[in-house]
Amino acid sequence: MSAPSIPNLFGTPSRGSSTRGDRGGSSLGGLGLGLGRGRGRTRVRGGAGAGAGSGSGSTSAQAHDATIQGTDTDAAVSRLSAVEVGYLDDPFARLFVQGPAGRRLPIINRGTYTRTTAINQIVDRFLAQTASGDDDNGSPQTRQIVSLGAGTDTRSLRLFSSSTSNSRIAYHEIDFPAITDRKQRIVRASPQLRSILSDPVSAEGGTGTTWRSQARNDCELFCHGLDLRALAQQPADGQDSTSSPGVVLKGLRTDVPTLLISECCLCYLDAADASAVIRWFESRIPDLGVVIYEPVKPDDPFGRMMVSNLAARQIHMPTLDVYRLPADQERRLAEAGFGQVRHMTIDKIWGRWVLHEEKARLDRLEGLDEVEEWDLLAGHYIVAWAWRSDKFQLPDDS
Amino acid sequence: MSDLDNAIAQLRACRPIPEAQVRELCHKARELLIEEGNVVTVNAPVTICGDIHGQFHDLMELFRVGGDVPDTNYLFMGDFVDRGFYSLESFLLLLCLKVRYPDRMTLIRGNHESRQITTVYGFYDECLRKYGSANVWRYCCDVFDYLALGAIVLGASNTLSPNSEAGSAAREVEEDTEIEVCNADGDIMSQFSRLEGGASRLLDPVGSAMRPSATATNGIGGAADSSRNSGLGGAGAPSRTGPPGSGASGSSGGTVGNPAGAVLCVHGGLSPLIDTVDKIRLLDRKQEVPHEGAMCDLLWSDPDEIDGWGLSPRGAGFLFGADIVKVFNHRNDLSLIARAHQLVMEGFKEMFDASIVTVWSAPNYCYRCGNVAALLELSEDSSGLGILSRTNGDVNRSDGGVGGPRGVLMENDLAGLRSGPARRYRVFQAAPQDSRGMPAKKPVADYFL
Repeated sequence: MSAPSIPNLFGTPSRGSSTRGDRGGSSLGGLGLGLGRGRGRTRVRGGAGAGAGSGSGSTSAQAHDATIQGTDTDAAVSRLSAVEVGYLDDPFARLFVQGPAGRRLPIINRGTYTRTTAINQIVDRFLAQTASGDDDNGSPQTRQIVSLGAGTDTRSLRLFSSSTSNSRIAYHEIDFPAITDRKQRIVRASPQLRSILSDPVSAEGGTGTTWRSQARNDCELFCHGLDLRALAQQPADGQDSTSSPGVVLKGLRTDVPTLLISECCLCYLDAADASAVIRWFESRIPDLGVVIYEPVKPDDPFGRMMVSNLAARQIHMPTLDVYRLPADQERRLAEAGFGQVRHMTIDKIWGRWVLHEEKARLDRLEGLDEVEEWDLLAGHYIVAWAWRSDKFQLPDDS
Repeated sequence: MSDLDNAIAQLRACRPIPEAQVRELCHKARELLIEEGNVVTVNAPVTICGDIHGQFHDLMELFRVGGDVPDTNYLFMGDFVDRGFYSLESFLLLLCLKVRYPDRMTLIRGNHESRQITTVYGFYDECLRKYGSANVWRYCCDVFDYLALGAIVLGASNTLSPNSEAGSAAREVEEDTEIEVCNADGDIMSQFSRLEGGASRLLDPVGSAMRPSATATNGIGGAADSSRNSGLGGAGAPSRTGPPGSGASGSSGGTVGNPAGAVLCVHGGLSPLIDTVDKIRLLDRKQEVPHEGAMCDLLWSDPDEIDGWGLSPRGAGFLFGADIVKVFNHRNDLSLIARAHQLVMEGFKEMFDASIVTVWSAPNYCYRCGNVAALLELSEDSSGLGILSRTNGDVNRSDGGVGGPRGVLMENDLAGLRSGPARRYRVFQAAPQDSRGMPAKKPVADYFL
């Protein structure tokens, strides 16, 4: 039970004098501190200043936008760490991190694994349930996934290259233009991605800057460079919209089953804006599901420290002030018009959704001596999901 | 001023000492530790501390709250290094104090005092960063191999000594006080009486003085709040006898005024391979912490609400239940096991009718967890019945010097196990990082973003 689960770093070539170089970011990361990615964030911030300054907003608001964009770098580094240790299989994670990967602590790796696989399972359920459907004309049905604040997320790429036949997926990613521009450059430059995706082309006529790219099996990727708050400024469809022309997301259909994903994205908006963004989709798309991944419980000692620590990094999560408990998240989605609402904290998902054999495999990757800390940290993140459709159901257990 | 005192002064300022000096220090420490048995005998009064994890400024706060060395006799239960920013300064300071005041400072080994674990959790990287080579890490690891595996505290009293920190005048402690919880300023936050029917008093709920304790007043209240805890069901109603949940109640068979049974201190817990303290003494400890076996278990195991033994989620050591603790304590004439190893939000947690306590001394662990820390003070028995000299490594001392072997559960033992010593917990929070004259390096904790 014990021996193999403690990683024996003595046997690996990265030990010794080369360790500094090989695990450059890890010397701080190994202390549970997130300084290893400072380099990346600075770069993103530099690029974001131009992109985020789309007209409105004070300097501090722009700085906050830049900080939020920096969280994407944070997530990309965490993803790569989990991949390199062996938690996740993701051949694309490497492409979105510049420089050496910082190895994250086991607790962070496990959390990255759990949030990723939890959302994957919900996405897979959605895709499986909508795989055989026909539209009203009897032709095979397109399925849509909309990822808010997708950043450099690789989920679309993994779906497109998966050995299981994922066909007819229209995958829409929405993020700041600085982020989607960078993603386009990476797609253009990477032979690995060019074997999956066609040449990105600009799609005219939408709000913001959109590029699109074809994948096999009638799949397509749309990347919309757009401040999400533009959606929040829009009235819901069908209501009075005479004054403004309306946001158009190029290629987005309203007549097909759609899954909306917010993986630590809407939490950075004001609660009213976050609600308005959900309403924007909810009012237009009849068959809609939604998955939200966000922190919860800011009021216990761990939660208070989390809020304080994030504030010290200039990161604020306004929705956390409003949706403080898991029940608040559930009510939020119910009030947004979804008949079926479920939620689970990350520690429960680890306990229930990760199979025993898989846990055994992960435990062999590296020891986790942070048992109580894991319960604390993972207990402060929630996956909430909801749906309103007679064409698909999302996982029913919670 | 000797070199050693200079080194102590420098380390107290959180400045690393030169590599050559570390080498010399580690050599001296090894010579000292090699003479200690696997289970060190310590006489009360003693202040028992849990994990430190390189949180240097919080260690300074601990010394402020618990008293300075050598005025206070300290016992640290391991995990000096890893996770925090200042593992090096923290461990070297403790080691200097050990060499300088060997009879006032006891260090036992935690599971992080290991080559393998320190390469994962930060100490190795910290040494590389601060010295440019792994030499200092190697010297320290060599010392780790000589640290004792446990300690036995003898001569602890059933009554508390006056709380020297409380106000100007030493306040009388009622004889029947079994547990007293103080905040960092020495103000009493709660007291629990030993005598049956004696009302416990919640004097000043922690919440008013200790901001992070939102839900529970302290480790005792926290234990009562926890559904995992056995004992009296009346959560949050400390009106009966002992602390609710801790079960350290009037049913105990102790007589006020007599010395309490011995207290075993170990980092993690018990092992299915160890049924007597003497068996710990027979281990060959001078090695890297093995992946399994008795030595591993002592450093890795956790108490849990189970029957018997269970697999540990840590992947090393075991889980053990109340029955295991009670049988072990009875067989070895122990009144209490004090251990560390597990983060406790309230700083300490008594379990299994107060037969085992977890003490956690790293406040706001990893700069992220928002917990308070605690240390445990055991008073000296002055009745003259429990005086024992400090010895190292003797076999057959596990009876605490009280009587012969106790292999049989006597009829009257069933009424209650040995009464625990009177316990004073001092609860403290993280030191403010900026007020120490240190470069204000604001630690940044990781979250999922």
